Amino acid sequence: MMDSIAQKEFVSTLRDRRFAVLSVLVLALLLAATLVGRASYRTLQQERQLAQGTVNEQFRNQPARHPHRVAHYGSFAFRPKSGLSLLDTGVDSFTGSAVYLEAHQQNSVNFSQAQQSGSLLRFGEMTVAFVLQLLVPLLIIFLCFGAFTQERETGTLKLLLSQGVTLRQVAWGKIWGYSQAVALVVTPALALAAALLFTGEEFSSGVDLVARLTLFVLGYGVYFFLIVVGAVVVSAKQASSRAALVTLLGFWILGCIILPKATANLGASLYPTTTKAQMDAEVHEEAQHGINGHDPQDKRSAELKAALLKKYGVDTEEKLPVSLAGLQMAAGEEYSAKVYQQHFAALNATYERQNRLSDWAGLLNPYQAIRPLSMGLAGSDFAHYVHFQQAAETYRYNLVQRLNQLQADMGYGDKERRLDASTWRQLPVFTYQAPPLRWVLPQLLLPIMALLLWAGLLSWLGLRLISKTPVA
Amino acid sequence: MTYILEAKDLRKQYADKLALRGLNLQIAPGEVFCLLGQNGAGKSTTLNLFLGFVLPTAGAAFVNGLEVAVNPLKIKEHLAYIPEQVMLYPHLTGLENLALFSSLAGYKYSPTELVEYLTEAGLPVEAVRRRVGTYSKGMRQKVGIAIAVAKHAKVLLLDEPTSGLDPKASNEFSELLRRLSSQGTAVLMATHDIFRAKEVGTRVGIMREGELVDVRPTAALNAQELEQLYLTYMH
Repeated sequence: MMDSIAQKEFVSTLRDRRFAVLSVLVLALLLAATLVGRASYRTLQQERQLAQGTVNEQFRNQPARHPHRVAHYGSFAFRPKSGLSLLDTGVDSFTGSAVYLEAHQQNSVNFSQAQQSGSLLRFGEMTVAFVLQLLVPLLIIFLCFGAFTQERETGTLKLLLSQGVTLRQVAWGKIWGYSQAVALVVTPALALAAALLFTGEEFSSGVDLVARLTLFVLGYGVYFFLIVVGAVVVSAKQASSRAALVTLLGFWILGCIILPKATANLGASLYPTTTKAQMDAEVHEEAQHGINGHDPQDKRSAELKAALLKKYGVDTEEKLPVSLAGLQMAAGEEYSAKVYQQHFAALNATYERQNRLSDWAGLLNPYQAIRPLSMGLAGSDFAHYVHFQQAAETYRYNLVQRLNQLQADMGYGDKERRLDASTWRQLPVFTYQAPPLRWVLPQLLLPIMALLLWAGLLSWLGLRLISKTPVA
Repeated sequence: MTYILEAKDLRKQYADKLALRGLNLQIAPGEVFCLLGQNGAGKSTTLNLFLGFVLPTAGAAFVNGLEVAVNPLKIKEHLAYIPEQVMLYPHLTGLENLALFSSLAGYKYSPTELVEYLTEAGLPVEAVRRRVGTYSKGMRQKVGIAIAVAKHAKVLLLDEPTSGLDPKASNEFSELLRRLSSQGTAVLMATHDIFRAKEVGTRVGIMREGELVDVRPTAALNAQELEQLYLTYMH
């Protein structure tokens, strides 16, 4: 019975010119967004690979220099884009893509697309995720608002029920039929994206990508399903098609515009962050109070010197087998890194709390559940950004400490000498390995649970409501 | 005598209105019972109660001996319903509409059989594969009849079935009812059409403010007497 009703809804939908126009429009947007996403991915990835290769070469080809000069010459870490970011750019456009790595300083990631683009980017990008999260639900609303109201208005509901089907069976048939129609619109774009991802040489396909894409598709499947169920339930409970449409559009505005903004504002108010200038000043201030490699008069610097003299059983710096300045640099770096990490952790914890609030809002609003899930699977969420930031900082710290060690090994009078150019070619260059799915999955449990809860509750409660709807 | 449709003290109270005040009615197989009455007299409520679309406040409705409120799905195996406006699904053809409703009733027909049902109901063969959105009201009504016939129901419940039909279509409809009645199908028809009721009905019942105020065999009345009787109760 359900199959017959589903088939009827599917065929009727396909033959409805209004739906045909809307779905062709949405499909065209999806395909365009996929192709634009791929072109954008390719351009940015090539730019970043080229830039990373160039700065790596420049770093390795430095002439004979003092190690500390090399540490200040520094390098850059460019964040590679994740393959699935062609579908969902997440926060990528607003976070930076490159970080300057140098001694004593933990620089923030800069050069975001938003910084380099006009203000139009702030209105949101036309990505596949944008179309899937905001426009496909609108299509579903226009598709389903008359699911029951039109049947009632035309009297076909009574005719259907007089054949011996229940309201629940009618509802499931409709949900299944509409779901097929939605799949017909969305599948070509996702199939194109999958084809691009698995055949494009610029993408590193693998089990992780397959798993991410599978979950991505499943996540959106659940999202669309619950919107279809919700729309059918609203249609069953409203007296007229007009009332159903207005109600559903109201829910869309509330869920896709008002609640996300309100949650973001609430998060920012409840968990305020320090400004970058404020944090830099605090880090600098706290680092100054510790051992400073450039300040031999510092108390802790003096203590280090005394400890070294004692360790090597000498009475002057000149007799030390190691460069005191190099070891002071290393100690200073260790201390400033510790200070930075503390501030960085506190700042990230604040962002995490803000993001968590939005994630919890997914229990109230499915849009706020699919958004973090989509970004997380696409590798373009805040967590993936922080992962890169930390990888860059780990590399910077290890590089600088290795250079400090080279300086320390040069012994007293190192400032007058240089190390051979071949030394820099032995140092590792920055390479970044994005985290696997199993790393991000625990962070996505809440949005996954929220979506499943919505789908389960709507199916159970909504269908119970429908089965109790008066027919006459 | 075994009745295919029976109402025992059937009452229906809506929030602000008593729609049916203790209806007692028995209809035998092959009988065509026409319910006459003004809008709001309780005709549609009676049909809805027999269909199980509304639950009675008191009393009970029976179809083929089964209480409707207790067996809401089972009783539908014996019923076919034709509403006043048979709108159907405009994006499907007449054939597809019939196939859908028949499959929901548990009947799977071949395309040839479906065409036969539709043409027997009076739909021109060239219209069978056209979308219902292009049909006239009469053509849609014929698909509705085909749906009812294809269900092989023991009882037909009709709500103003000839309303808006042209005389030819109305005549064809009467002819069909007579044929079904002769095959043992019971018909309960709510209508304003006194003359159609006289023409096809075996009995007429006049409803007023939720009560069945008079029941007469049509054979005992001519059309004018029936009209006079109807007008008497309406004033």
